[in-house]
Amino acid sequence: MLLRNPFAKALWDFRRSLIGWALAIGGVSLLYTSYYPSVSQPSMVEALRNYPEGLKKAFNMQDVASPAGYLGSSVFGLLVPVLLAVFLIVAGSRAVAGDEESGVLDLVLAHPVSRTRLLLSRLAALIVVVLVVAAVVFLLILSVAGQAKVSSIGAGRLAAASAQLAAFGICMLALTLAVGAATGRRSAAVGAGTVVAVLGYFANNLAPQVHGLAWAQRLSPFYYYLHGQPLVNGLQPVDCLVLLGAAAVFTGLGLASFRRRDVAV
Amino acid sequence: MADLAVHTEQLTKTYGRRRGLSTSGRRRGLAGLDLAVATGEVYGYLGPNGAGKTTTIRILLDLIRPSSGRVEVLGRDPRHDGVALRRRIGYLPGDFIVDGRQTVTELLTYLANLRGGVPRARVAALAERFDLDLTARIHSLSKGNKQKVGVVQAFMHQPELLILDEPTSGLDPLLQQTFLAMVREARANGQTVFMSSHVMSEVQATADRVGIVRDGVLVTVERVEDLRERAVRRVEIHFAAPVTADEFADLPGVSAVEVTGTLLTCRLDGRADPLVKTAARHTVISLLSEEPDLEELFVTYYRGADGAAA
Repeated sequence: MLLRNPFAKALWDFRRSLIGWALAIGGVSLLYTSYYPSVSQPSMVEALRNYPEGLKKAFNMQDVASPAGYLGSSVFGLLVPVLLAVFLIVAGSRAVAGDEESGVLDLVLAHPVSRTRLLLSRLAALIVVVLVVAAVVFLLILSVAGQAKVSSIGAGRLAAASAQLAAFGICMLALTLAVGAATGRRSAAVGAGTVVAVLGYFANNLAPQVHGLAWAQRLSPFYYYLHGQPLVNGLQPVDCLVLLGAAAVFTGLGLASFRRRDVAV
Repeated sequence: MADLAVHTEQLTKTYGRRRGLSTSGRRRGLAGLDLAVATGEVYGYLGPNGAGKTTTIRILLDLIRPSSGRVEVLGRDPRHDGVALRRRIGYLPGDFIVDGRQTVTELLTYLANLRGGVPRARVAALAERFDLDLTARIHSLSKGNKQKVGVVQAFMHQPELLILDEPTSGLDPLLQQTFLAMVREARANGQTVFMSSHVMSEVQATADRVGIVRDGVLVTVERVEDLRERAVRRVEIHFAAPVTADEFADLPGVSAVEVTGTLLTCRLDGRADPLVKTAARHTVISLLSEEPDLEELFVTYYRGADGAAA
């Protein structure tokens, strides 16, 4: 039965948005992967070569001619993580703060459910959601890899990039959920998630080009997600651990505050 | 101590300015609340809106934490034994808010599972009693029907302690009767009922005792029986022959005497004996004494001893 405990219940409640977002994010990756044959035409490559270097770096387009370069910049570098972040900011802010603001949380917490169990159950359910989305992205790209002429990347490296994507998603999710749990305010959670996503994106892509700001890149979740180029080099365990470690720290801090404070009516 | 279901000592709760005004605008904290609810009794917790009733209840459930003072529920500390404690409690919130997309059965199944399961037959029997459609989606239900769901989920696992925040709001008179019957059954079952209200009539039918809270302190605790004895009631006596008002006006406890021909109406405060004895000198055709209006007593407490408006 899917209504057995807070984890199963949360998963059940997320089913609609999971299906919608998995299809949307998977669809976008499928679409952009299928574009590769036309982007890799010599004329297109020539045109891109003349773009200013800074601009190319800003959008992860240094090497769009190779399959890994193209997928790394267009699919894994921009569209998919941004869509995933938007989804997780929405879902993560709802998971505790949204329910609290709407008043739904009260009744559940008046049952024999500790706040720790509630928060971790919902986090776990959303982690499952992230893994499903990453798996969908992986499978859909793999399914058209031959036609799209990107099969030289290999299933293993594609899986590595998807895994790094999942780690990135879990980090963003934990941040949003934790801020929501600590404050009880959905707006705060959405704000924190959005600021980190947007600043993180630009810090990763632009900061290295600004003198004295290079350190900022190291604060960006995008950096740990992308800089090791998993599509070329395979899984980067240290980067994944940094992302997941940050997620654990966010969760711990959010939980500590959630356990201490009053639940709003 | 052991036979107290709810016990608080000098319980205080102060809200930060932002929180205190965020939702109701009138919600107030507690200022040294001493509460003692005996195991097995029905306790009516009365007070005007903003007196601190919901604040008290939310502390008992560990949804909020007291600023100072002690609180024990069923002999345990809600803060440290919250999960074990809440297993033994049924709670009906003042605003019963749940996700409207699920059906009544889905919600009740989930809540029952959180409590370790409730026999299906028990839920079905309660639903039938309240004429509640278990297959309906919650957002399609009227306010009254939603309240029924709230009552069912609070009672379904037959908890030792029922904490009900304004339980009859939204229920029509017939269902209020059903609800009151369930409260009586719960008491007969040895369960303790702690129910809040801002109207006396809601609790006077079932409560053993009422505690009246105002501005975060308990103003008085009374047995409902005692209140009834002391309460002002309207009396109507129909005589065979005309009587004079003067004969009755000076009787102890009698006031507002009005006579129209053979019909006398008055207000009676306290015992009925002098009035009855005096009336017995005449031929009495009928005598009507209304159920005492405890509301009036209650309003006096609301306003405080000096009579100033709350």
